[in-house]
Amino acid sequence: MDMLIIDGLSFALPLFIMAIGGIYSERSGITNLAIEGLQGFGAFFGALSVVLGAHFFNIPVQKLFYLALFLAMVGGMLFSILHALLCIHFKANQVISGVVINILAMALTVFLTTQINSIVFGAMSDKFQIGTSSRFTVPGISEIPILGAVFKNIYPFEVVILIIAIFAGYVLNKTRFGLRLRACGDNPHSVDAAGAEVSKIQFKAVMVSGALSGLGGICFAYSISTNFSPAIYMGYGYLAIAALIFGNWKVLPTFGACLLFGFARAGGYFIGQILKMPSTFSDLIMTLPYVLTLLLLIFFSKSNRAPRALGEIYDKGKR
Amino acid sequence: MSEVKKKNTTKINYLSKITLKLLGNEKWQHLRIPAFLILLSFIAASIIIIILGKNPLGAFYNLLQGAGILPKPSYAGYKSMLTDFLTLLNFMTPMIFASLAVAIALKGGLFNIGVSGQMLLAGYFATIIVGYSGLSSIMAKPLVLIIGIMAGAGLGGIIGLLKFKFNINEVVSSIMFNYIIQYVLSFFIHSYYIDPVSRQSKYINEAARLTLVNVELSGLKMDFSIGFIIAIILAIILKIFIDKSRIGFEIKAVGSNPKGAKYAGINVGKTMILTMVLSGAFAGLAGVTYYLGYYASIQPKVLPSMGFDAIAVALLGNANPYGIIASSFIVSIIDKGSTYMSSIAGVRQEIASVITGLILLFSACGAYIQFKIRSSKDKLEYKAGKELEE
Repeated sequence: MDMLIIDGLSFALPLFIMAIGGIYSERSGITNLAIEGLQGFGAFFGALSVVLGAHFFNIPVQKLFYLALFLAMVGGMLFSILHALLCIHFKANQVISGVVINILAMALTVFLTTQINSIVFGAMSDKFQIGTSSRFTVPGISEIPILGAVFKNIYPFEVVILIIAIFAGYVLNKTRFGLRLRACGDNPHSVDAAGAEVSKIQFKAVMVSGALSGLGGICFAYSISTNFSPAIYMGYGYLAIAALIFGNWKVLPTFGACLLFGFARAGGYFIGQILKMPSTFSDLIMTLPYVLTLLLLIFFSKSNRAPRALGEIYDKGKR
Repeated sequence: MSEVKKKNTTKINYLSKITLKLLGNEKWQHLRIPAFLILLSFIAASIIIIILGKNPLGAFYNLLQGAGILPKPSYAGYKSMLTDFLTLLNFMTPMIFASLAVAIALKGGLFNIGVSGQMLLAGYFATIIVGYSGLSSIMAKPLVLIIGIMAGAGLGGIIGLLKFKFNINEVVSSIMFNYIIQYVLSFFIHSYYIDPVSRQSKYINEAARLTLVNVELSGLKMDFSIGFIIAIILAIILKIFIDKSRIGFEIKAVGSNPKGAKYAGINVGKTMILTMVLSGAFAGLAGVTYYLGYYASIQPKVLPSMGFDAIAVALLGNANPYGIIASSFIVSIIDKGSTYMSSIAGVRQEIASVITGLILLFSACGAYIQFKIRSSKDKLEYKAGKELEE
């Protein structure tokens, strides 16, 4: 039972931070299917800097944990500029642009990983080993039955994510910037009339989403795979998008959706272990979050209300 | 006043004049802009290759050699430039089908990113139903095509239905289906059809295969793709269908403006589902020509990357079937030639997908380039008119 909560949370929280990034972008009116690619690129950037740092400065990999988180955010943000440029300045179709970014991110990171591995380390590998992050347990509270598991074996990044998530939620809902951002998604002309520049706000929103996606990506690399490899492109970015649609583009309901995905996944493995199923069945268990997403979308998509100007190219002259 | 004029003249500099001259002619724009985009992406790829300390021109030359466009210095037994070229066509066949699938969805205003999943599903069903049966060649080959079409169309139809009935974005639902199909089929292949040596599904019977392999002709062993001829014929039919038929018009109308189409009395939901069914059918054909033509088995747990490359091909070909034949030829060369290139020039094979990705990136800006050209042309004309007045 404890394992269920621990594993569920460690999967749900990175998903949640990516979904918040998506909320930022989509509430500002820019459809963001690029999350998948952004998280991969962010993870690549973070992992690369860790591996290089360990190689050239002889710092043990574990010590670079927080630096990796930070640089993953930087990497995701840098790559998201591409999406912002395509959508806002080059007026490309936002859905197509998102998919383009994903494909390019995958091709580029896989190419660069193998290339850098062979040049710098002289190894034929498409992975950067970064190890798992350490975990900690809060003494005292973790002794509470069942609920105490929330405080057991926590990855440090979970705390980081929670702090950033609360801050991001506050900015989006309580500040002037957040108000304008949300207005951009619903009625960009009113923002223009109020004297703010729509394209600038949208640009910032996409960059925030890139940074948060990068953070989510490196957390997956630290918790699930212990390395950066092409396997990071597991579709978690798309799961995050499904979560935010299911959460109706609002922060708290999205958190609920992410928890649901996390527990569904952990629960699937849990059941597999209890029933002592052979390992081939793990393939079937892997489908659980995706099936759940589809089912939830069937029930909830109809009542959902997307931001009104979502996916539209903002045209100043149009009234 | 004169100061303002000066500013205007410097604004349109020589560089834009040259590009205007090259790309401005509207008659050839649909050919010149894609060519320009490909050029841009190759320049970008060259920069990467130069940074790696290799010669880009040599690498691209090897690319063409590997694809059977230019002769290699030496060939193994039974091989020649012709056999390489036929292998290229064999590889290109599913690419054409997959890109047509993306293109018809784009025409209808939908984005079918689930082509990979539809390909895998169609390939799987055709493999287990026909591929392992002892049917004779005349029975088996058409049956493979039919099963492929039905499986793909069925899945496409479901995605269209979900979009219409439940308002689920087709991109999200088809990606979910991609993953579900990938894992579920991996489970079945691992449980029932696995070849323990190759770690893939068992090879299908030769009779069911859509490519005639190792046909001996004048001392060469060639692969003839039956699907290639079908692909070309279907591309032409699709072009006529979209341009001339009523349903084709309805699909385009829904794609460009669903509200307008509704007021014109078109059943938007039905058309949407039909578009996805058609798109899925083409994806199914891509699947059977891929898994039962180019290959003869299925690698479990892997989605064909071709389904994603097809998006690049369709965008590059401007979603026009004729354009797609041309652009899939180019992208196939990049894909097929990359193995030879990496072995000769020492540039890693993964650069091929980077080049495809770059083409994709620049294609996404195609409409913008067109728009920019038109607006700067207008500016020039306006200026010329002003000067005439004075």
